[in-house]
Amino acid sequence: MRPRTTGEVDLDTSVFRLDGVTKRYGDLVALDNATLDAGENEYISFLGPSGSGKTTLLRVIAGFEAPEAGRVFFNGKDITNLPAHERGIGFVFQNFALFPHLSVIQNVSFGLTHGKSGLNAAEIERRSLEMIEIVGLSGMQGRGVDQISGGQRQRVALARTLTMQPKLVLLDEPLGALDANLRGRMRNELRAIRERLGVTFVHVTGSETEALAMGDRVVVLDRGRIIQIGTPGEVYGSPASPDVAHFLNRFNLFEGKLAKGTFTGPFGAVPAAHAVRSDRDIYAVRYDRMQAVDPSAPVSGPAIRARFVASEYLGSSVMNFFEAGDGHVIEMEHHLSLGAPQTFEPRQDYLLTWNPEQAIVFGREVA
Amino acid sequence: MSGTVTIEKRQSRTTRWLLAPGIIWMSLFLVLPILMIVYVSFWTQTTFNISPEPTLASWKLFFSSDTYTGALWTTIRIWLIVLACTFVVGYPTALFVGLFIKSKTLSTILLVICVIPFWTSFLIRVLAWRPMLGKEGAINIVLQKLGIIQQPIEVLLFTELSVIIGMTQIYCVFMVGPIAFMLSRIDRNIIEAARDLGAGFGRIFWKIIFPLSLPGVVVGAIFVSVMVLGEFATSGALSGRKVNLLGNIIITQVGSLKWAMASVVGVILTIVMGFVIAGFLRIVDLKREL
Amino acid sequence: MESRILKPALGLYVALFLLFLYGPFVVLTIISFQQGPEGGPQFPIIEWSTYWYRHIFGLTPPSRIAPLPFGEALLRSLTLAFMTMVVSTVLGVMSAQAFRRKFKGSGAVFYLIVLGMMVPGVLTGLGVSLLANNIIGIERHWYTTAFATHVAYTFPFAFLVMLAILNRFDSSVEEASWSLGVDPWTTFRKVTFPLIFPGVLSAMLFAFTLSLDEFPRTLFASGRDQTLPLAIYGTFAVEIHPNIFAFGVLTTLFSFALLSVYGILMAMSVRRAKKMAMQEDIE
Repeated sequence: MRPRTTGEVDLDTSVFRLDGVTKRYGDLVALDNATLDAGENEYISFLGPSGSGKTTLLRVIAGFEAPEAGRVFFNGKDITNLPAHERGIGFVFQNFALFPHLSVIQNVSFGLTHGKSGLNAAEIERRSLEMIEIVGLSGMQGRGVDQISGGQRQRVALARTLTMQPKLVLLDEPLGALDANLRGRMRNELRAIRERLGVTFVHVTGSETEALAMGDRVVVLDRGRIIQIGTPGEVYGSPASPDVAHFLNRFNLFEGKLAKGTFTGPFGAVPAAHAVRSDRDIYAVRYDRMQAVDPSAPVSGPAIRARFVASEYLGSSVMNFFEAGDGHVIEMEHHLSLGAPQTFEPRQDYLLTWNPEQAIVFGREVA
Repeated sequence: MSGTVTIEKRQSRTTRWLLAPGIIWMSLFLVLPILMIVYVSFWTQTTFNISPEPTLASWKLFFSSDTYTGALWTTIRIWLIVLACTFVVGYPTALFVGLFIKSKTLSTILLVICVIPFWTSFLIRVLAWRPMLGKEGAINIVLQKLGIIQQPIEVLLFTELSVIIGMTQIYCVFMVGPIAFMLSRIDRNIIEAARDLGAGFGRIFWKIIFPLSLPGVVVGAIFVSVMVLGEFATSGALSGRKVNLLGNIIITQVGSLKWAMASVVGVILTIVMGFVIAGFLRIVDLKREL
Repeated sequence: MESRILKPALGLYVALFLLFLYGPFVVLTIISFQQGPEGGPQFPIIEWSTYWYRHIFGLTPPSRIAPLPFGEALLRSLTLAFMTMVVSTVLGVMSAQAFRRKFKGSGAVFYLIVLGMMVPGVLTGLGVSLLANNIIGIERHWYTTAFATHVAYTFPFAFLVMLAILNRFDSSVEEASWSLGVDPWTTFRKVTFPLIFPGVLSAMLFAFTLSLDEFPRTLFASGRDQTLPLAIYGTFAVEIHPNIFAFGVLTTLFSFALLSVYGILMAMSVRRAKKMAMQEDIE
């Protein structure tokens, strides 16, 4: 990595930038040379399995952890050596980390009261009440934080951070502690509040639906490395590696061999005109690109024989599970907007087929 | 703008400042005094004074005198006996409080009851054994009333036995506490599982319960050893000056301004302590158990 | 099965154990009601009376038995215990706070601190006296040399209590405070300290109690003016009268009352927390 100094940073719209950030815990590499740029007024999601380094990355940006190598820039300044309380970056914790001995308004006004805001008490109260209203907790300001529900605590945590008017807010799995119903509602609210205030949000999540639904951009991490950065459409439509496809949890992945423009997998040999370079040969077909037909029916494209196991109704779609001969589970999603779902007989064999144009092929050998 | 000092460095600087006062205090008022004792044990003793000319005179005197070497053996003997007594007396109680009582409140209450006697001054507690053990003391009166004995037992007070009884009572709670704590942490499912496999209580005790409570026994033993080895008040008050521990020798030597000899005895006591604690710590890593 | 025999047997054993534990205290209480001034500290009770209690407070007609010289000693002991409590709790909190981060030599520092509760008091007392007498050449006082040894003894207890408390402390609330622009020291005062306060209180209680009753360290290190345990020790040498037992009963009752208040306050705060938790369930 080219070492940078403060003067060289491009300031146009960049709110923060990571430059080759590396962090180890003993022998474990939590972050490996992570480089990233984030613009103003953006919603970025970090997606990765647990242990992928996404939380560590967030903590390095916040200043809770120091990186071994690399620099962190914020607002055009090198903040790598700046302690957390001088960074002006907001942080929302998974467990909310509210101050249990203080009331809702004392929590919300904490930073203004005890930090270097220099505001008088009346102004602090005005601002805090305003923020309490924005997050929809009017009338609750006098309560203790153990007298409100989980969703309300989430809002207090958010309000507490937003009163400080940070340009960047880091959210560490902020919806993880909420139940499914509340999660959906808070998802929309987080977006709305962010858009209203024009703040950059960095949201860490282990849920691919959350990442795809909320981020203007999605950053996919694996074993401490950033493996893809893109809009949800880009990441979803063309995952950069088999690992990304795997985390997205939307692809059937088949192992096989790519040679001379042909992928040979459990379904036989299929022509693969375009392939994405990768360290493994993998054939990926999105769940909703699969079709199931009777084993005797003629098929035009590639096909694999599999036994129907079960189906799961998901509201707007139906997920069907099949088991191939080698025990590999193949999933097929049917969007209900496209018509009534097919019905399958349990323990019956079907042919699963797809349009090879829509499959994504990863391989060591790229034409 | 950006500081040149890394967050890592700043944190370790904070750590050093937080630790410094404690380390300094302990070095000045604990480690240095002990080194001082070692140093002074080689000083020259005149009748009422000491001077720093190095000599082995006090050391020679210690090992040539039956009174002093006798005190060393008495200390070790009393320590071992009291240690065994506190263990024998304390373990069943700990077993009941820590393992057999299922209600957490009840076991806490029992432990508090065990601690209440400590709110009486240590010295008054020692003194209270006199009317208990004396020839016309409570024990003799009760035993005579019950017709168990005709003549009062006279060996109860002002003997080695009274010192052992007194120390056992005063220190056994230090054995009960840690053991009960370790026992209460045992996962009851393990015991249930063993019982389902047909193991009797004896087998379960020796194979599961006792090994798991061992750290508690060691911590308790360290507590008791530390206190018994440094004792002098109980032996002074209950033995009628018949039992002389190393602690008692130190007291009398200081009383007659024989600082050098007191230091020799102090060094010997320190060495004994060192061996005892190091031995126990080999069995259990104290830092991990806490 | 076995527990049907074993549990009652152990229960009976524990009852005997408590009898053993409380026996001397019961006898002490009985004898404190001995007749005075002729009755001695032994059985039989000549006549029940509160003579020795009145004797402590100087409410009896003068007799050949001098009142206990405990007044000033008690005041000194309380002052010393208070000083010790403050200093060792501050040191304990600081050191335990430092131990939240891994650092080189943490094992050595841990044992250096814990050493304070392992070294017999006689040795600390002797060593500090030697140091004061023969090297520095200062006079020994309860508020200097004895104070130093008291802190060296109670600081490890405070340290261990705080270590246990801080081990379970969720540091994300502190990080939350930093991320709100509040510096670490203010964060400690406004967030950490209020949350660990119950632990601090226990550490203080430990240090105060241990110092108040501390005797072997004080014996050599306190110099001319006696603390309470020394004054009691002084009565060992001369004839013992039941007034010392009456004094023991009174001090025990006093600490019992004090600790009951502490216990009730704790129970009340627990109940309040429970009530809050219930309210949350209703919502």
